[in-house]
Amino acid sequence: MFNIVEDTQKTREDTRKTWEKIADYFRANSIWMKWYCTGCGAMEMPPTMTSRFDMEQLGMGPMATPRQADVLLITGYLSAKTLRRVIYSYEQMQDPKYVIGFGSCTLNGGIYFDSYATMTRLDHYIPVDLYIAGCMPRPEAIMNAFDTLIAMIKKGEAKGWKHYQDNYEWYNANQIHSLKEVRVKDEFHE
Amino acid sequence: MNSMNSIVDDLKGKFDIINVVFPDDMQMAVDVDKNDVHTVLSYLKTIGYKQLSLMSGVDWIKENEFEVVFIVFNWDNGIHILLRTRLDRENPVFRTITGIYPGAQYYERDIHEFFGIEFEGNPMSYKDLFLELWDEMPPMRKDFDPLAYSQDKFPERKYESQFIPEVGVIK
Ligand code: SF4
Repeated sequence: MFNIVEDTQKTREDTRKTWEKIADYFRANSIWMKWYCTGCGAMEMPPTMTSRFDMEQLGMGPMATPRQADVLLITGYLSAKTLRRVIYSYEQMQDPKYVIGFGSCTLNGGIYFDSYATMTRLDHYIPVDLYIAGCMPRPEAIMNAFDTLIAMIKKGEAKGWKHYQDNYEWYNANQIHSLKEVRVKDEFHE
Repeated sequence: MNSMNSIVDDLKGKFDIINVVFPDDMQMAVDVDKNDVHTVLSYLKTIGYKQLSLMSGVDWIKENEFEVVFIVFNWDNGIHILLRTRLDRENPVFRTITGIYPGAQYYERDIHEFFGIEFEGNPMSYKDLFLELWDEMPPMRKDFDPLAYSQDKFPERKYESQFIPEVGVIK
C-alpha cells in the first residue's frame, strides 16, 4: 500500500520533471525582456537591441511591461526609492521569471558603494540568476550573458524564481531592513 | 560688463548689499542679509529676471551656517545673478519664496529634505521628494556619514579572497 503511494508520488515527480524540461526548452527559445533603466548602463541597450548586435538573433524581444516579460534586466545602480519600484515590478511578473543584474553597481555597489541612497547588492532583495560584471558592460558581454541565460534555462539552472518562493521570508526581511516598507506611498499614489 | 556695473549700482543704491563678485562675464554673485532676500528677488523679477534657474543650499559647517543660493536669469540681456544669503545652522528657518517664484516649490522641498532647512509658509516643503521614509539626519549636512549609513542599511557583499595579489607580483 505504502509502496503504491510512494510510487505514484515518484511517477508524478518524474512526469513534472519531464514537462518542466519540455517547457524549459520552449521558454528558452522565446524570451521577452523588460529592461529597467535605472543607471548609466542603460546606454548599452540600444545597440544590443537594434541592428548592430541584434538580440533578436537569439530569439529575444523587448517587452514594455513587466507583466508580460520573462526577463527583468536591471541596468545599474538602484536607489532605495527605485528598489521599491523594482520589487513591485518583479512581483508583477509571472512565473517563470529571470533576473539579470547588469554592471558592478548591482553586483557590489560599484563606485556608489558608499552612497546613502543606493543599495549595494541586488541579490539581497530579489533573486538574480546572472550578473554581468563591468562598468559598464559592452554589448558583446550582454549578448554573451543572454546566451548563457538561454543555456541555463534549457538546463533548468535558472531557478531564481523558485528560490524566491521558497525563501520569501529571507528576501522580505532584507527588503524591510533596507527599505522599512516595500509599499510605494508617493504623491502619485495618494 | 557695463550693463553688469549699472545693475550693481542700481542694487547698491536700493538695498543693503554685503558683497558683489563676478565669477564670469555675464554672471555676478550678490550677498545679502536673509531679511532682504525677498525684496531683492521681487525687484529683480520686475526688472526682467523672470527665471529662477536654480535654488540650492550649502553647509558651511565650520562657520556654523547654512547658505541658500538663488540663481535668476534674464532672457533679454543673458545675465545670471546669483543671490546668496546665510542662515544660522542651529535654527535654519527661512521664509518661502514661492510667492515670488512659484517654481521654487520643488527646490524648497529638495533643500528641506537634504539640509533640513525649514521654509515658513510652504506646508508642501515638508513632503518627501527623493528620499522616502528617511529617518536619519539630512544627508547633505557635512556631519552625516554616508559610508556608515550605507554599511548599516545596505549590507555589502563579502568576498572570500582578494583577487588583487597578482598586481603585487607584477610590481
Ligand atoms: S556599473 Fe558603472 S555604468 Fe553601470 S550603473 Fe554603475 S556606475 Fe553606471
